[in-house]
Amino acid sequence: MNNIEITARALNAAQQKQLNVFADVLIPGGAGLPSASEVDPDGNWMERTLKVRPDLKDVLLACLAKDGEPDIILDQLKNNDPEEFDKFAFAISGAYLMNTRVRILLGYPGAATLPSPILPGESESYLDDGILDAVINRGNIYRSIPS
Amino acid sequence: MDNKDIADVLIVGGGTSAGVAAKHLAEAGFKVVCLEQGDWISQSDIPGDKVEFELLNSKQWSADPNIRGRRQDYPTDLSESEMPVWMFNGVGGSSILWGAIWPRPMPSDFRVRTLDGVADDWPISYEELQPFYEAMDLEMGVSGLGGNPAYPPGIAPPLPPLPIHKTGRRMAEGMNSLGWHWWPGTNAIPSKDYRNQKQCVRYGLCRFGCPHGSKASTDITHFPIAQQHGAQIITGARVAQVTINEKGLANGAIYIKDGKEHFQAASIVILAASGIGTPRILLMSTSNQFPDGLANSSGLVGKNLMLHPPATVVGLYEEELEDWIGPAGEFIGSMQFYESDPSRGFVRGAKWMLMPTTGPLTTVDRWTKGPGVSHEPFWGKDFAPKMKSSIGHMIQWAIVPEDLPEESNRVTLSPTLKDSDGLPAPKIHYRVSENTRRLLDFQIERAFDSHKAAGAHKWWVGGAKGTQSGSGHNTGTARMGNDPASSVVDRWGRTHDVPNLYIIDGSVFVTSTGVNVTPTICALAKRTATYIANNAKNEKVGK
Repeated sequence: MNNIEITARALNAAQQKQLNVFADVLIPGGAGLPSASEVDPDGNWMERTLKVRPDLKDVLLACLAKDGEPDIILDQLKNNDPEEFDKFAFAISGAYLMNTRVRILLGYPGAATLPSPILPGESESYLDDGILDAVINRGNIYRSIPS
Repeated sequence: MDNKDIADVLIVGGGTSAGVAAKHLAEAGFKVVCLEQGDWISQSDIPGDKVEFELLNSKQWSADPNIRGRRQDYPTDLSESEMPVWMFNGVGGSSILWGAIWPRPMPSDFRVRTLDGVADDWPISYEELQPFYEAMDLEMGVSGLGGNPAYPPGIAPPLPPLPIHKTGRRMAEGMNSLGWHWWPGTNAIPSKDYRNQKQCVRYGLCRFGCPHGSKASTDITHFPIAQQHGAQIITGARVAQVTINEKGLANGAIYIKDGKEHFQAASIVILAASGIGTPRILLMSTSNQFPDGLANSSGLVGKNLMLHPPATVVGLYEEELEDWIGPAGEFIGSMQFYESDPSRGFVRGAKWMLMPTTGPLTTVDRWTKGPGVSHEPFWGKDFAPKMKSSIGHMIQWAIVPEDLPEESNRVTLSPTLKDSDGLPAPKIHYRVSENTRRLLDFQIERAFDSHKAAGAHKWWVGGAKGTQSGSGHNTGTARMGNDPASSVVDRWGRTHDVPNLYIIDGSVFVTSTGVNVTPTICALAKRTATYIANNAKNEKVGK
């Protein structure tokens, strides 16, 4: 056997399909950004989310189990149980905002944070026009202490 | 019980102040043993360079031990607290997750009673502590610019300042237009390779742990050197009690490791378990000689807890500011509203720190939880335009308000909550005082003014305000003083009741000051360690 680890996904295909409808209520896209389901139709980013936050799975499933239209269910959840709504929204936005395409469209760097080494002279470049002079010229601002 | 091998110095805790003392004393030739309930932290586990970093920070790497819920953390009973307490247990302690902002208090902080008629004066002065601040600047790889007019003259930090970035520059121009103080940030983050620390590459996620090995944390800056000089760090070792001999001297500690009880004998014991953990251990260390807890003849162990309820104030700007770039850390700081002005309706003040904005998920919180904007529509059609207009377009102040001591704010032992070894959890009793509320409200309004002056088109309290998050600044619970009736330790950090028992963490603060506390914790730890090293021959020891 090869060392292939087959693990069950946190959500099955039907659950993911249903979740996509809920996710699009929260994040329908616009202003140059895609909707939640558009960037994660198969739930791969949600899978990554639940891998590090498995405690959020029950929150998602509890919401999916409710009868009614997703927008109404979420509206009721927000009004009646804001803490649970926050967890649901955290999972949806957490998966969405990890997505590389979304981050690029938002102007946030790459799939993960990127190193930004300091360039020679960079520190000085912000200060060398005398911007600190006004602060220095006002003199000391600490109180003298009686002996 | 085991380990009759007697340590010259036993340090309870393996965090920030413990690292400072362990290095100093081991280098001075003492046989040092540290007991740390957590483990060594692997740099590869630090979440900052992983795409899931914000999700991990919300749970496994949260600064709140109740959210992390790890075996090596002890829970905190918050049933009578308005505010959570933040800390981290592991080698390096809270320096693993701190922001490494490195300000000193002002000289007035040590004379609050004399100048403002509140709280108490410290038994030591700024000038007395200044050489130890300067020594710690060297040990923690501090970057900054000398000559700050908020402080008396002194030696400049060893490394040049980090760039103040576009955000710092933009705000500096706004502050100048108001005639307000600002100064390039002083951070324990090296702008160049320095000793064991690599040059900062500005991930901007210092409070999630540094994945690059740049930010000063004592697992990098101190403990490896202490080990080279023979110090022994025992991890997974949770101290249950500091023990006393028949002469009333500390002679070691009982600790639990892997579910079994052990004993470490020692001639001198130093408590370095944080402003929460240290009073907890003292209160657990009851005996016939000390029925109310060790070193507690004053009744002040655990009392006068100060937590620095913080606030963040964010502004939105039209231009692209790359607001995620680090350090985090501060770009610039301001002491404009630090000193008392009674006409404002409160005493004392606060330091401001201009910081990066971390990741996009944090910005969701800014919109959905920030007072003043949380009522606005966000989810649905508003999500995309709000996120597009804010990511990369924000400037953020973090505000540290001085929190004055009150005996009603305190740490006791929880009657119901236990840690994973069955020891009582600390119970936090904390209410934000009226002075602190007024102080914070004033500072927030002035921070709004600064955003307006810098050209922001919208500004609000972007998340934490006061009690909604912790600060990690846990101080005051074993205060320093000359009078044994009104303090727990003397001017050297030695407990009044037990002459070979010292405390070197934030517990000993007389007032909380209005700045980040770690530089002062480190300076005090260095000073106490120096005192012990210089006076050990004359010590009464607990063998």
